[in-house]
Amino acid sequence: MRYRIAAVASLAALSLSACAGGGTPATTTTAPAASGQELAVPTKPVTITFEEAMTIGTLKPAMEKLVSDFQAKYPNITVKLQGDPDYATMYTKEKAEVQAGNAPTMGQAYESWASYFQSGGALTPISELAGTDTPTEMSTFYKGVQKDLALGDGKTWMWPFNKSVLILFSNADMLKADGQAAPKTWDDYASVMKAVSKNGVTGSTIDPGSATAAAFGTQWFEILDKSNGGTLYDADGTPHLNDAGAVTALTYLKSLKDAGALATGKNYPGETALGAKKGAFDISSAAGYGFEKATVGGKFNLGISALPAGPAGPVNELTGTNIVVFKNASTDQKAAAWAFLKFITSPAEQAGWASTSGYLPVTAQALPLMQDFVAKNPYETAAVSELDTAFALPPHSWIFKCQGYEATAIQDVLDNGAAPTAALGTAQTACTAAKAQG
Amino acid sequence: MTATTTARPALATGGRRPRRRAPARDFRTTRWGWAYSAPAVLIFAAFVIVPTGYTFYVSLWKWNALNPAMSVYRGLGNYQRLFDATQPTFLSSLWHSLYFSGAMVVGGTALSLALALLLQRGGALLNASRVALFLPHATPMIATSMIWVWIFNPRFGLADWMLHSLHLPTSQWLQSSTSAMPAVIVYSLWHEVGFTTVVFLGGLAVLPNELSEAARMDGCSAWQEFWHITWHQLRPVTVFVVAITAITSLQAFTQFYQLSDGGPVYATTTLSYLVYQEAFVLSDTGYGAALAVVLFAVTVFFTLVRRRTATGADSALT
Amino acid sequence: MTTASSRGIRSVIKTGRAGRLARRALALLIGAAFVFPFYWTVVISLGRPGEFSDFPPVLLPHWDWSNWARAWHAAPWVRLFGNTVLIASSTVLLCLATSLLAGFAFGVLRFPGRKFLTMLVLAVLMMPGTVLIIPDYVLASDLHLLNTYWIQIIPWGASVFGIFLVRQFFLAIPQEILDAAALDGASRLRVLWSIGIPMVRPALVIIAVNVFLGSWNSFLWPVIMTSSSMDSSSTVQPVEVGLSTFASAEGTDFPGLAAAVTFTTLPVMAFFLVLQRQFIRGALSAAGGVRG
Repeated sequence: MRYRIAAVASLAALSLSACAGGGTPATTTTAPAASGQELAVPTKPVTITFEEAMTIGTLKPAMEKLVSDFQAKYPNITVKLQGDPDYATMYTKEKAEVQAGNAPTMGQAYESWASYFQSGGALTPISELAGTDTPTEMSTFYKGVQKDLALGDGKTWMWPFNKSVLILFSNADMLKADGQAAPKTWDDYASVMKAVSKNGVTGSTIDPGSATAAAFGTQWFEILDKSNGGTLYDADGTPHLNDAGAVTALTYLKSLKDAGALATGKNYPGETALGAKKGAFDISSAAGYGFEKATVGGKFNLGISALPAGPAGPVNELTGTNIVVFKNASTDQKAAAWAFLKFITSPAEQAGWASTSGYLPVTAQALPLMQDFVAKNPYETAAVSELDTAFALPPHSWIFKCQGYEATAIQDVLDNGAAPTAALGTAQTACTAAKAQG
Repeated sequence: MTATTTARPALATGGRRPRRRAPARDFRTTRWGWAYSAPAVLIFAAFVIVPTGYTFYVSLWKWNALNPAMSVYRGLGNYQRLFDATQPTFLSSLWHSLYFSGAMVVGGTALSLALALLLQRGGALLNASRVALFLPHATPMIATSMIWVWIFNPRFGLADWMLHSLHLPTSQWLQSSTSAMPAVIVYSLWHEVGFTTVVFLGGLAVLPNELSEAARMDGCSAWQEFWHITWHQLRPVTVFVVAITAITSLQAFTQFYQLSDGGPVYATTTLSYLVYQEAFVLSDTGYGAALAVVLFAVTVFFTLVRRRTATGADSALT
Repeated sequence: MTTASSRGIRSVIKTGRAGRLARRALALLIGAAFVFPFYWTVVISLGRPGEFSDFPPVLLPHWDWSNWARAWHAAPWVRLFGNTVLIASSTVLLCLATSLLAGFAFGVLRFPGRKFLTMLVLAVLMMPGTVLIIPDYVLASDLHLLNTYWIQIIPWGASVFGIFLVRQFFLAIPQEILDAAALDGASRLRVLWSIGIPMVRPALVIIAVNVFLGSWNSFLWPVIMTSSSMDSSSTVQPVEVGLSTFASAEGTDFPGLAAAVTFTTLPVMAFFLVLQRQFIRGALSAAGGVRG
């Protein structure tokens, strides 16, 4: 396989055309890009591979649409999707592929994964593709998305892909019957949760995540911390997992659990409980709307609202991954990958992608092109506006481990009744050790 | 049986004693033995033995998997880290391995022996039950464990619904550190006892019956007969079942991966799962390799202990 | 088998009509308990939308096939299932051959280094498999075996369990039988083929069953060693990987999963039910062989 790609690539040694995407002026050579030179789209046949996990439900057709649109525009470029069943598998595959010297051209990656790959010299910086560290396309992205593309060295190493934020799903009928309004603050949320937790209903069920993977419950904790004015990690990745904000956040979760208003589970438990009318709320990704709707199955009105705010104002966290370009691709493949990245983040493609997949468009320019979808999904406007302010954890390789320690602390408190201070103290120690290990 | 017991000592000494007639010895003694073993040994060498050697080597380094040139020699540093680690501690993972394996060996063996006694011989109905018992073993863990996550759901699952219907106390199953391991064991027993029961059934079927009849004539109770005669005669089969179960449960992985992710709070993080977590997910390759070496040592240790304590007509696997 | 006496429960519970009845009832109950999760899976897969999360659980199917339709279209199941069958049966054949040869060598032949090889093979059993996957991946990549059937067959084509089971059977065969054949001038391969194989047949049956189930149970290995393109007609992935696509990143389609679990395990169950007599008899005689 590698041979074939190499052969194809060497055939395409010279690029003759000026068919660059995104309206930027094209150069006429594919020689390794010196600074200031954007890679031109190759005109000879070239195949690029993309390791991705958009393999289920509406995600799959949305992904395939992006590829077929791209191939229609650039018939000489073939995009081969290497689909994986889930993110954990995808990460393992990418690591194995890099180690075996047959990395894909591109792959989906969270920030901490990208940091790990970059530390091993496995990535191509965006500047090598675009000729600049800040390509013009970046300025069209939402601000939170823009900030999410750099690694610890401050350089741009990633390009946005399936981005979303968390939103609050609710059983609108249940809230109405109980005379409750959509909560505006986390304090409101706690009192509504406690009020509706009766007759077999538990306010909400969350997945706290595990030692090897964060889940929406982990992110909720991170959001609560920040909305309490806390900072879980400094920009250089120094953890503050047992600072006041974090302890307050976890104590908040514990009080809900102790009041019988919060339960824990696995495999999207909040969605399940909501659908079974055994839960009033579910904090989940905006991209999960299609799944929530299917689970509810028309049994009641599905309410959707922005996350409540904390003392430090409204806070949201980015979910989803970016795309990285691996190092050992040929120049033509890199050029083709760059064309692909620009293409899929163009407004028209983002509009189509967002409408089908449920993920949020990364550029506001897509919204006018998806008015039908926005009209049918009124939460979309509010959700995308949060992309400007949503935060992401700093991109360091150990953050992946440390999120596991966060999740473990949440489990210890909610499942085992441990004291938040003690559990977070353990997490802090472990995370500090992980940072020292690098 | 007699043939085996006479054959084995001769084989054990490598057949150097010239006990047999010349043609027979020539037939058995041949360097071609290497060629006969070669296909299997080559496969093992390529995919297990060499990578195992590599794992031993890697365990001495702070290994940079993406770029081995950037690795730093640590000596026994990774092994020291075993004892410094807090999340989870090495000893807790070792304990979880022993907890799971112990429960599977004792519970699995006792349960499958009891089931074999219940289901031996008999008509179509008992045969149907035997088939029912074996069915879980014939389905992939990846599929059935997904179903069992749902069964163990403390709010909607079948397990708690049944306990509730029977007015028994319900459990948090996979959602609590104390009940998570028992839940995984329940699932694993469901998946595995079909096989071991059938092995016991096989053992029961070929037992000679004179001793039992004699015992009954001597006025032994059914229980005494079982304890002194049947159980005793089944000993080689039991040893086989124990050996197989011990090794597979020390290495068990899929059920932990699917059911509990090693949690909550590492309550189901066995050594085998920890190896996966460190080497595979968290990319701490050198440390994961050190853990793998330790798990290897633990398995070898238990095998040797059992070999020492086992005597007589035990299976080769012991 | 016919000469063996009755013992165990049959005599523990007094052999009367009541005892027999109690024994049957208990057996029925236990059998039902083991099968119940499968029944429930089928019920869920035939349930109406959203019904799977009802509590108390729905225990009768509503014959709504929409989950089946959705799951059926989610992956090229027939192709995936064909892959599984091809991979599993090739692995079985290879494994039978290697087990037979090595078991014969270890159990019958004498050669320098035999003890060393025996210990080496036994040590293979002790190494935790998960840690080997990445080095194996690198090896497979160097050999250009990624994304092939070969990488899913060859590494599993030798079984420690199989080798030792065959060895055990050979140890149990009276030496004179093989020696007599050799005396007649038959070659070793000939002795193995015409005398050895018939005598270790029960071991081969149980190896075949175990290796087949092991192959059908593998998950992490094919996921790592092959790349999926789920609608491609050229995928070499087995059906278990198709199943795991349901455990998605953004949601869980549980009724769809239940449907997929049902229609992928049904053929194997049917296969097992048809052959269960042979399967169980093989296991029975293997256990007899284990006794030595």
